[in-house]
Amino acid sequence: FRLNIEGLLVYFPYDYIYPEQYSYMLELKRTLDAKVCYNPFIKLISSCMQYAYPLEVTKLVYCSRTVPEIEKVVEELRKLMDYYAKQTGVKNDFLALALSSRKNLCIHPEVSSLRFGKEVDGKCHSLTASYIRAQHHSNPSQPVCQFFEEFDAVGRQVPIPPGIYNLDDLKDFGRRKGWCPYFLARYAILHANIVVYSYHYLLDPKIADLVSKELAKKSVVVFDEAHNIDNVCIDSMSVNITRRTLDRCQTNVETLQNTISRIKETDAAKLREEYRRLVEGLKEANVARETDIYLSNPVLPDEILQEAVPGSIRTAEHFVGFIKRFLEYLKARLRIHHVVQESAPQFLKDIYEKVCIDRKPLRFCAERLRSLLRTLEIADIADFSAITLISHFATLVSTYSKGFTIIIEPFEDRTPTIANPVLHFSCMDPSIAIKPVFGRFQSVIITSGTLSPLDIYPRILDFRPVTMASFTMTLARTCLCPLIVGRGNDQVAMTSKFETREDFAVIRNYGNLLLEMSAIVPDGIVAFFTSYIYMENIVASWYEQGILENIQRNKLIFIETQDAAETSMALEKYQEACENGRGAILLSVARGKVSEGIDFVHHFGRAVIMFGVPYVYTQSRILKARLEYLRDQFQIRENDFLTFDAMRHAAQCVGRAIRGKTDYGLMIFADKRYARADKRGKLPRWIQEHLTDGSLNLTIDETVQLSKHFLRQMAQPFRREDQLGLSLLTLEQLQSEDMLQKIAQIAQQA
Amino acid sequence: MASLSEEVLLVVKRVRQRKQDGTLYLMAERIAWGPEGKDRFTVSHLYADIRCQKISPDGKAKIQLQLVLHTGESTTFHFANESTALKDRDATKELLQQLLPKFKKKANKELEEKNRMLQEDPVLFQLYKDLVVSQVISAEEFWANRLSLSSVEHSISNNNKQEVGISAAFLADIRPQTDGCNGLRYNLTTDIIESIFRTYPTVKQKYSENVPHNMTEKEFWTRFFQSHYFHRDRISTGLQDIFSECAKQDEKGLKSMVTQGVKNPMVDLLSLEDKTLDEGYGTATVPTTSNSSNKSLRENSNSAIIKRFNHHSAMVLAAGLRRADAPSDQASETSSTDGNSRDSDFFQPPLKKVKLQEAIEYDDLQGDSGRKTISLNLKKSDRYSHGPTPLQSQHYTTSQDIITSISIIQHEMRSYKPRLTQVMSSSAASSAIIALSPGGVLMQGGAQQTINQLVPTDVQSELKHLYMAAGELLRHFWSCFPVSTPFLEEKLTGHLEEMLQAAYNKFQAWQTRRMMRKT
Repeated sequence: FRLNIEGLLVYFPYDYIYPEQYSYMLELKRTLDAKVCYNPFIKLISSCMQYAYPLEVTKLVYCSRTVPEIEKVVEELRKLMDYYAKQTGVKNDFLALALSSRKNLCIHPEVSSLRFGKEVDGKCHSLTASYIRAQHHSNPSQPVCQFFEEFDAVGRQVPIPPGIYNLDDLKDFGRRKGWCPYFLARYAILHANIVVYSYHYLLDPKIADLVSKELAKKSVVVFDEAHNIDNVCIDSMSVNITRRTLDRCQTNVETLQNTISRIKETDAAKLREEYRRLVEGLKEANVARETDIYLSNPVLPDEILQEAVPGSIRTAEHFVGFIKRFLEYLKARLRIHHVVQESAPQFLKDIYEKVCIDRKPLRFCAERLRSLLRTLEIADIADFSAITLISHFATLVSTYSKGFTIIIEPFEDRTPTIANPVLHFSCMDPSIAIKPVFGRFQSVIITSGTLSPLDIYPRILDFRPVTMASFTMTLARTCLCPLIVGRGNDQVAMTSKFETREDFAVIRNYGNLLLEMSAIVPDGIVAFFTSYIYMENIVASWYEQGILENIQRNKLIFIETQDAAETSMALEKYQEACENGRGAILLSVARGKVSEGIDFVHHFGRAVIMFGVPYVYTQSRILKARLEYLRDQFQIRENDFLTFDAMRHAAQCVGRAIRGKTDYGLMIFADKRYARADKRGKLPRWIQEHLTDGSLNLTIDETVQLSKHFLRQMAQPFRREDQLGLSLLTLEQLQSEDMLQKIAQIAQQA
Repeated sequence: MASLSEEVLLVVKRVRQRKQDGTLYLMAERIAWGPEGKDRFTVSHLYADIRCQKISPDGKAKIQLQLVLHTGESTTFHFANESTALKDRDATKELLQQLLPKFKKKANKELEEKNRMLQEDPVLFQLYKDLVVSQVISAEEFWANRLSLSSVEHSISNNNKQEVGISAAFLADIRPQTDGCNGLRYNLTTDIIESIFRTYPTVKQKYSENVPHNMTEKEFWTRFFQSHYFHRDRISTGLQDIFSECAKQDEKGLKSMVTQGVKNPMVDLLSLEDKTLDEGYGTATVPTTSNSSNKSLRENSNSAIIKRFNHHSAMVLAAGLRRADAPSDQASETSSTDGNSRDSDFFQPPLKKVKLQEAIEYDDLQGDSGRKTISLNLKKSDRYSHGPTPLQSQHYTTSQDIITSISIIQHEMRSYKPRLTQVMSSSAASSAIIALSPGGVLMQGGAQQTINQLVPTDVQSELKHLYMAAGELLRHFWSCFPVSTPFLEEKLTGHLEEMLQAAYNKFQAWQTRRMMRKT
């Protein structure tokens, strides 16, 4: 139906609406020209989409985390647009599309059959790189990708017809036209009204620079599922260098050297030409850059592109020599026996003293390498990932003096006897990666079901939100039941605290909890552990104690492994077992892939058990460095951050089970530490609200009783009439005066 | 009855049956026993008729072997040869063990069918009791024309029946018991063995490869439980262990399952991430692939357990579904093509679309989009559309007739005026009421009790049973006409007559019993 939100006409593609959805739209409308931080329970994508169309916003960039998530968004959008077309009878010229990596979009028969994204990218590059195509002109036997050629020849002139394009639609369209869907999509995002893609295209400077650079400033950017956004930022800026990397880099350098000397004999003009170009600067390097995604610069380009490449690395030989020196230096650094931690300036000082490498040429390393590889016409770029990594590191370390740290560890903590030196160049400050996004776009919306507590996000991401709001949930029936189990039936405290986690009684009590729950919860149960190793140990001792066997009497057991393919299979079997009524338990790991990307809606997750508090591994030096940085720069206390991080992951895990108001699920926090105010207070508001004082320190027996009661209530038929007027509104109800007042209370300005 | 052509597999002397010494013969298709010094077998059972064999516990004084037939009867043999009794018994047992399963398969299906029919149809069951159990008619003959009749119809409904799955904890149910002297005893039932076989086809294969030839069943299971295969840390499977191959095959199966990938794109963790960071980027420590060797033994065994649980659950799940899938071959064929194989890219969207649609649907926000309907499953659709048609040929009225008659009726109804007062005189009406009220002329007969109130229900039911049994026999009798084959003739003149006689006698007996009771 149509809604009128403070003067703005909004089409809503459903017959009913949740009050919090309305409230969300309201907040969104009021602040749509700013950076916002939201915490809704039910994010309805279309509610954001609503605004893009009627308002004078040219473009909406919607970022989500996973491929299925992206596809879901596009499907919802399609629904909205269908509805809109039906209501108004006007077919609008509206272009929305999803963009994903080559692996998901390639239709080249050979290339798309490759399994790994990296291989696909490399192969694609070897068929579409600018010099390959140039070679093809003179030598038709040189294979190129006919889809790209076709696209390049005609695709750019003819705009893609308006409509909603999901990944599969793009592929279909590409097949029909014979155009490459990937490049088509990348080209089309420039004039699309809505773009849906993953975080990386905006946050990872290596990619963002290529893909998203030309997005209009007036765009609205939405980060959905943004509770982890700081980690995404950090990951995209951090580099690890091992001895293996260096060895491979060494081979790369040798290959380069050979190629250079060969070219020098045959085609010295080419190298001279490159030299001339470099003197002029890198501005024209942008030409034909589109297909050379692989070697883009990790830092933001405008700082560098203005200047010319310093003379010391301008010729190819000099540059290779330079890289060699740098490599030797790194090798020497890795040959240590104790842990070293230093800042970027310290590192630069040291490198200057030892091998006389200046800061400036280092900054140009990535750009210079890119140019060289293009000049040398190296087809299989994937082989050069090691040297690319090193050059990125060089550029990063010389560009940022703050917010990064260098840690060199001679061995892993767990295996002190085995030498495995690693150089971590680690980003401490997520705001570095996200700053250009905030700087460039008119409004940025950060939203997630589990952003909590809200106030920490602006601090760690270093921005000033215009609006922050978290929403409660109006419920006709309490369809979630959070319980904190603190003790076993023997009154032994249940906790995954480091000192007691290997305690026999704790493990047994955890086992008993799962066993008891497996007997009373229908269909699926998902259990999360704090870490993979902890899960392995617990599973082993449960096996020895015969607990698993007893659980098997009630349900099938599936366990997440470190192998993604194996886990996918287990996951599918798990769903199958839930589907056919057999019931199953999935043992999984917080922070793992399952907890991040898979929903356990309805019968796939009637109960979620969180064994322990999922603290990050605190002994890691990288983490310690980051905590220190947070304390010094943002005045965030270590414990606050750790708890915040643990609780957002816990909330993330338990939140997987609920979707919509017809769904229901138990949320069991099996650790007595959850009862403390500092932990409990960091749970999302919609969970906190239903956590009664009586359910803060339960024994297993009490938990079972409460769960039974809850499940029995939930199993009663739940009709629309029960919800209507309370937690589900028709248009008429929405317009009534007192309902509007109620809705005003839903959003809590943080 | 002993035919010379039969191959005798085993002869055991001095076997007592019903306190009579005799000789036990195990032949190719049946087991038979004849008393000492006689040429005839007094006991003879086809293997197919035998449900199971039971043996007396080891410590007992009497060494016995009991055969339980499908009909529920049992025959007990007592091995009386003092010195070799145990050996004899075991030899017999083992031979039977090998022979029975061969016949079992054949028998089982029919038997299950029969059992099911009897359970589902109480009338039939009663008939069976009356005729077969009281030996009026042989079981074979009873079933002869019944199975064929109903098999078609029932096979349809049979398919819709759900297969009973396997308990996930079947291995846990085999609790080893210590027997007091450093040994373990496992109690295996046929159910458990069946579960093991269904879940682990490789073990079944091993079993069929090895059991009669290389080792006894007991030995096989002993080895099974001793093997590392059964145990959790399947790491150190020695080569001499016959199950090491099973473990390898399982591993292979698991791998192929993994490489096959998942059908549902929503749970495919491999394609979850859109753009993974390149190697060397990110804060997460690099997964050290090289150091799998320096993992401790414990870690290895732990991950082996996890693997095994996943595999076990998958197998149990598959075992439950396998049979269900079999008849709907076509369906599974089509479903396997959509999405699984990498090259069939064109098939993928449908499944993916469905899953996506599912994922974005909020059913409470939607208006009434129509209830999900259950499809009508008709065995004979023409029957449904026509309804029961009368058998006699009928004079059909044309639509013209109907229209005219309706208009006539309408016309008449329009002019119809009820004249209630003139229907009947009030005196006639009151007399009619009197006649119909209790004690009136017409109600006099009501005092008489009907036959079903007179006769007690047990007599009634007995009579009914007899009647039905007789009816069944008559059916058999009449089905022999026309007498076209010598077999039918023999049946008629031979035992059908006998049977009818028997039935008659039975009836007589019942009658006299009734009479006696009455007097």
